[in-house]
Amino acid sequence: MTDFPILTLLVFLPLLGAVLVGLLPREEQGQQRALGLGFMLATLGVACWAAAAFDGRAGAPEFQLQTTVPWVKGLGLSYHVGIDGFALVLVLLTAVLGPLVVLSAFSAVKERVKEFVIALLVLQTAMLGAFLALDLVLFYVFWELMLVPMYLLIGIWGSERRLYAAVKFFVYTMAGSLLMLIAILYVYFAVAGPGGHTFDYLEILKAAPKLPRATQVWLFSAFAISFAIKVPMVPLHTWLPDAHTEAPAAGSVILAGVLLKMGGFGFLRYAFPLFPRGAFELRTTLAVLAVVGILYGALMCLAQRDMKRLVAYSSVSHLGFVMLGLSAFTVEGLSGGVYQMLNHGVSTGALFVLVGILYERRHTRALADYGGLARVVPGLAAAWLLVTLASIGLPGTNGFVGEFLILAGSWTSRLANAPVIASVAAAGVILGAVYMLWMYQRVFFGKVRHRENERLADLSGREWAVLAPLAALIVVMGVWPQPWLDWIQPSAERLVQRMGDARAAEVGLAPISEPVFAPAPPRAAPAPGAAPGHPFPQIPPNILRQLMRRHH
Amino acid sequence: MNASGPDVLAILPELLLTGGALVLALSEVFLRGERRGYQPVVAGVVSALAFASFAANASEPARALFGGFAAQDGLAIFGGATVCVGLFLTVLVGAGFLRVRAAERGEFYALLLLSAAGMCLLLRATDLLLVFVAIELMSVPTYALATYLRTGQRPAEAAFKYFLLGAFSSALFLYGAALCYGATGQTSLRGIAAAGGGPLLVAGLAFLLAGLGFKVAAVPFHMWTPDVYEGSPTPVTTFMSVGVKTAAFVAMLRILVTAFGGTGLAGTVAWGPVVQALAVLTMAIGNLFALTQRSVKRMLAYSSVAHAGYLLVAVAAAANGAVRAEATQGLLFYLAAYTLTAAGAFGAVAMLERRSGASAQPWDLDQFAGLARRRPWAAAATAMLLLSLAGIPPSAGFVGKLLVLRAAVDAGLVPLAVVAVLTSVVGLYYYLRVVVYLYMQPPAEAQEIPVHSWATDAALLATAVAVLAVGIGPGLLSDAATAGAKLFGG
Repeated sequence: MTDFPILTLLVFLPLLGAVLVGLLPREEQGQQRALGLGFMLATLGVACWAAAAFDGRAGAPEFQLQTTVPWVKGLGLSYHVGIDGFALVLVLLTAVLGPLVVLSAFSAVKERVKEFVIALLVLQTAMLGAFLALDLVLFYVFWELMLVPMYLLIGIWGSERRLYAAVKFFVYTMAGSLLMLIAILYVYFAVAGPGGHTFDYLEILKAAPKLPRATQVWLFSAFAISFAIKVPMVPLHTWLPDAHTEAPAAGSVILAGVLLKMGGFGFLRYAFPLFPRGAFELRTTLAVLAVVGILYGALMCLAQRDMKRLVAYSSVSHLGFVMLGLSAFTVEGLSGGVYQMLNHGVSTGALFVLVGILYERRHTRALADYGGLARVVPGLAAAWLLVTLASIGLPGTNGFVGEFLILAGSWTSRLANAPVIASVAAAGVILGAVYMLWMYQRVFFGKVRHRENERLADLSGREWAVLAPLAALIVVMGVWPQPWLDWIQPSAERLVQRMGDARAAEVGLAPISEPVFAPAPPRAAPAPGAAPGHPFPQIPPNILRQLMRRHH
Repeated sequence: MNASGPDVLAILPELLLTGGALVLALSEVFLRGERRGYQPVVAGVVSALAFASFAANASEPARALFGGFAAQDGLAIFGGATVCVGLFLTVLVGAGFLRVRAAERGEFYALLLLSAAGMCLLLRATDLLLVFVAIELMSVPTYALATYLRTGQRPAEAAFKYFLLGAFSSALFLYGAALCYGATGQTSLRGIAAAGGGPLLVAGLAFLLAGLGFKVAAVPFHMWTPDVYEGSPTPVTTFMSVGVKTAAFVAMLRILVTAFGGTGLAGTVAWGPVVQALAVLTMAIGNLFALTQRSVKRMLAYSSVAHAGYLLVAVAAAANGAVRAEATQGLLFYLAAYTLTAAGAFGAVAMLERRSGASAQPWDLDQFAGLARRRPWAAAATAMLLLSLAGIPPSAGFVGKLLVLRAAVDAGLVPLAVVAVLTSVVGLYYYLRVVVYLYMQPPAEAQEIPVHSWATDAALLATAVAVLAVGIGPGLLSDAATAGAKLFGG
């Protein structure tokens, strides 16, 4: 059944759910939640189906499960979706977080439940669509469509300063994306496919990298500003603390878990491969801004009194790592960056769920209002500890794998002063441990200082159900990263190859026969029942080999 | 001028509209009792018939009518169809609005139809004389309509301002036409193009542009817009913002392209930069002034100025001969999208307009507060329309912006396109503020419950659905706009 449009089903299933929820009577909140959850789970099922149908071997076609339907012929617009390794892992992340978000909000959102569930489902469609689109305008449409439900989520169900935060979020993001629209139009005219001008990604991918360098610098900048706002990279990050602080817990989870990944994904899918010359020109700037983000975000965390704001700034820091990995242009850097996107989605998503759970009980986010909770709510404390450790990047958790790959990848990259950059970034890891443990200490250790906290309820069954999958992912992705990296790596290798080719064409050399790292030898399909060889964090063998070779 | 049979058949829509106007005006004389329910029905049917006769002619090849005074071409047909849709929506909005205020009269619809006939004529006029006559036929009924409700100070002020500045702009236009005639000895657009000319013709072009600038509300000729839009009865404002804008923009494009876009003059008269400058000013001023408005109606008035700016971007792109078809297509699509969107948005204003309490602002944002709780569907429709005005996908407004920007980028006007997107970010703020009130504010305490009127509700829902449908599947409308961009003798 390779012809079945799995991806189209995947994108529009949540939208169908939104329509059906819209038809339910207003009073039936239980039904609305249940139907929303059902559709989110069904979407997860379809995402797993897509993952099963995806051929991750080296040598398999880059974009798979494609569907193309002309949309507006005269304009060269088409509905074109397809999936590669990068998109696949992010789609899975989105699909996993979807049901958990609905479940986590069962008790937190009691007003206008119907609209809430509809907003989440529409958001799910928009996010999946943005990951899967292979037409620049289609991508843009989904990209903008994400803003509206998120805006409503912050603006309707947020806390005190929600209106300010919602409008700031919307205007900031839109300002960037409109510049991207101009760049898209520019590319459209600069590139002619066989059937005239087109917005089709694959056609543009063939021709855009050949554009002159000066043009590419401008186009790359337009795309990069839009994506950097979304990531967010310092100094374009100021919308994030406000949006996170004011958003309801469910909104924060989606915002941190998936929406921020859109920025990194945009770099991987659009900014880097389409404009490699521009990217080479500006990569040092990107990397430096990323490192500044790591340190600045971490230092800001130390100054926060509000839990959610702290987690928001920690996102700035973590996403700085992601961007550092991506701008290294090495296989490990890219793989690590993408892997860290997943980690951040899981662990920061979980962190926001936990903060939400605490907020629901006490209605305050101030760190000073807590203390000594470990004795009162041991279950919550245990879950929080695991997530904290993952966020710090303790070996054995997912965070370690990502950070290690990123630092290794940027150290060996061709960035100017790469070792310096990597070393400074490594300092961010230490700061990360400081602020996370500091928060944990202030909330859970010591004596119970506020009488209200003495009778807090521990995690309910539903809350365990939300946290258990995330905790499981934290451990599994930490101990056994191979399956994910197997999906990510071929795409990363391809991107590195592409960048290398463009670089070579630029200087007039033959394509570098051995790029920074040689492409992986074709992997055979794993034999059924083959057990994983290593019980410990396993770095992709070829990457490790390359690293050794470099340093001897 | 010899009027042959086919020529008369070609202006069937204008004849239908004029006939409808006469029927409505005369029937009022013979009317006994107060049963006026037939009036909106007649007006609606006439506008639908006019639309149908435009649509039926859609595949005809472009040709001259009446010995070169007018033309039957894509521009006239697409524009005419758009005007008829705008008219129909205005009638729907007006039917509910007038019923609630017990102000139904045949004159209202008769004047609307007459003005629409003027618009259709303006869309096809290819001679400066006919352009002038058509402008007057379009404008004079709207002067009267502006003061239709007759109560309070605002209508009087609005109508007086509109009339004075309208007459002034007509005079400017006429002076420009006279200068063109002086320079070339021609009044027909193609004649002027063929004759070419020197500085006198340039002066004529400047006056023509200024006159048309008033009609489309381009900065610096926009001063009348907020006061007139706010003071006129809301259905009339609806009609001004959609009908007058469509007709005037198409006329502007036709004049600039046909008379001044040829090879003979293109080198000497570069109107492209002038229109670009107007576009930048219009987008900037319109969006910035809309920011500070608390009256939603006045905000929409400034937003209409801002949209005139985006349309001017398309006109500026049409100065480049290579992308003229594309730019015209963008202009037409944008006009159609704006007609749907703005008619719906003003419909929402009409629905929520406060009728009592003279001291309070009748169109204050507070009126919109909490609508999502009281009437979720109306709120969703209004939000959809506002998002379309802001140009957020998937909506007709987004596709319109996309087409216009595409033409601008293709014409090499990237800086202009950047200004367009930056100013529309400003626009986001004030559109979203209404959405904030709709969804995120509790209803004001002493809020009037708006009176339901099925006609206004129908207009609101229909436009919202249409805007969304065009946003998702723009193929049909964009194909029609492509066909419409075939300009006779352009």
